[in-house]
Amino acid sequence: MRFQSPIIAALAWLYVAAAPLAAQARADSATIPRDAAFEAKVRDVALSLRCPVCQNNSIEESPAVFAQDMKREVRQRLAAGESPDDIRRYFVSRYGEWVLTKPRAAGVNLSVWLLPVVALFAGSLVVWTAVRRWVRQGDAARLQAAASMAPATAEPVAALDATELRGRKATLQASLQELNSEFDAGRLDARDLAILKQRDEAELAAVTEALKRLKKEAPDAARQRHEARRSPTGLGGVWLARLGWGVGLAGFALILVLTLRGSVAARPEGGTITGMQVASVPPVDMELQKIGPLDSLRIAQLEEKIRGDSTNVPALIELGHLYLAQGLIEKAVLVDTLAIRLQPDAPSSAEAFAHLGMILWGTGETEGALKSLDKAVFLRPELPEALLYRGIILFQGMQDMPAAAEALDHYLAVAPPDANTGRIRALRDAARQASAGS
Amino acid sequence: MRWQQWAIPASGLPVVAFLAWGLTTDPHTIPSPLPGKPAPEFALETLSGDSLRSSALKGQVVLVNFWASWCLACRAEHAVLVEAATRYRDQGLRVVGVVYEDSRDNARAWMAERGGDWPNVLDAGSRTAIKYGLFGVPETFFIGRDGRILYKQIGPLDQEVIERWVPKLLAAGGAEAAAAPLDTFAEGRSAGHVRVSPESPTARGTARPK
Repeated sequence: MRFQSPIIAALAWLYVAAAPLAAQARADSATIPRDAAFEAKVRDVALSLRCPVCQNNSIEESPAVFAQDMKREVRQRLAAGESPDDIRRYFVSRYGEWVLTKPRAAGVNLSVWLLPVVALFAGSLVVWTAVRRWVRQGDAARLQAAASMAPATAEPVAALDATELRGRKATLQASLQELNSEFDAGRLDARDLAILKQRDEAELAAVTEALKRLKKEAPDAARQRHEARRSPTGLGGVWLARLGWGVGLAGFALILVLTLRGSVAARPEGGTITGMQVASVPPVDMELQKIGPLDSLRIAQLEEKIRGDSTNVPALIELGHLYLAQGLIEKAVLVDTLAIRLQPDAPSSAEAFAHLGMILWGTGETEGALKSLDKAVFLRPELPEALLYRGIILFQGMQDMPAAAEALDHYLAVAPPDANTGRIRALRDAARQASAGS
Repeated sequence: MRWQQWAIPASGLPVVAFLAWGLTTDPHTIPSPLPGKPAPEFALETLSGDSLRSSALKGQVVLVNFWASWCLACRAEHAVLVEAATRYRDQGLRVVGVVYEDSRDNARAWMAERGGDWPNVLDAGSRTAIKYGLFGVPETFFIGRDGRILYKQIGPLDQEVIERWVPKLLAAGGAEAAAAPLDTFAEGRSAGHVRVSPESPTARGTARPK
């Protein structure tokens, strides 16, 4: 390569000389080389690692902050010279095999790779034996047909029972008729006809003789001999097998029902991937707002809106309301907190404060809940849910009966009557009575 | 031929067994490889700006608690932690908080409001969280005097969990425990090259949230 000026040449040389140093510096700091090959490597490793805070996302695909942190860790380790396998091993040592998006073909996992092959092999074996049996049966049928043409090879008449003898007799008669027609058609010469006819007739005579003899024997004995030959296991074996099938199927159904019932039980709302439970709003013995089928649609709409503009406070607050109604507590906290951060003192944030108050009450943070609801009422003095929950908390949490009675009075004055009005009125009356008594 | 009558139903048994196992196992519980292993080392900045090295805690029973001020479940847990730290302090229990995806100001305000005088470290870039195989907050690691993780609690601590593990940890190697310096945190003395000090003056002694 030729350089156009000595200055550029000097710069190039400097760059080359300083490159290892620079690389070291970059590896140490958070900024690391951004060339395409390196980035592809980072992407590769990141795609193979599962994001612990998401559901079924790799850390490459997840926008979560923690996933990005993990990706940075991958980047730094790659820059420090670790191989992709080293890095995967590191993550497995912390999170277990679970962290790999593609399980390793080792140990128990290996069965996933091997079972299809085994199944294919076993299936081929079954098909092969079945086909072989069919072929053998076909051969046997043909042999029998041939035997009827050449009775000399047939089994001795004495070994046959009545039914078989009768069948044999019919076959022989048909065969004799056929021989005649073959001769008439000119396909058989007179000498062959004579030989074959003689054979068949001789056997026919033997068969007829045997039949006569059988008729003289007790009919029971003949049947017994027949049955004994046809099913050596006897009648008991058949029923035992049927019973086995029945018991097996019933057991299978029972296990299926028992296990399925447990596994299809809905995961409680707010449950996380690790099975952790978030405290939820306690039952305040009150009919919550009914969840309409359109709510999830509306939630999706609002989420889309907020993805476009995360400062849309009315959308955030409406979303908080819907999340809360659906029991998605963590999400409700998130959007309500966001709304409050954006407009801490706007009357529109009153609902967000009210939601947080209800949630805090649910977690047992009575004082925090009351503070939040106070703020809500301060921003919007006639917000029904804030007044209601303030009343409930003052009653149950603080035992401040006069204040509770006042708050519930206020609520009853501003809120339109609904299914809960009766119960709230009773609560208010109880608060009044208690404050009058004290 | 007789064996075939049994072979077909019998071949269903492994399938039934597999289904029974699979359908009764909660896919959300992910076994952690960490219990039984040495606790990962860290050296991080505390909320008050000092640095805290995990090696300075060697030989002590330590609860490493990952938390954040935005974490709802951590609220309920904090009181349990304060209570445990106070009750088992004299027996040598140490608590270290690791702040997860949160700002110094938020964490400071939290500690000032809710009490607790143990050191809390900031985990920039979540490197320590990754070292500890964290799935989310809160999570707490119970570390013995030998520096090994005995138990990992996913989700908030409660009294029962504390009582199940802490006395067990404290009992193991109790004799040397008494000799171990108890003052590294309380008095802010230097341990090795690292100075360790309490979080903030306001946090001291306030054991319950206001």
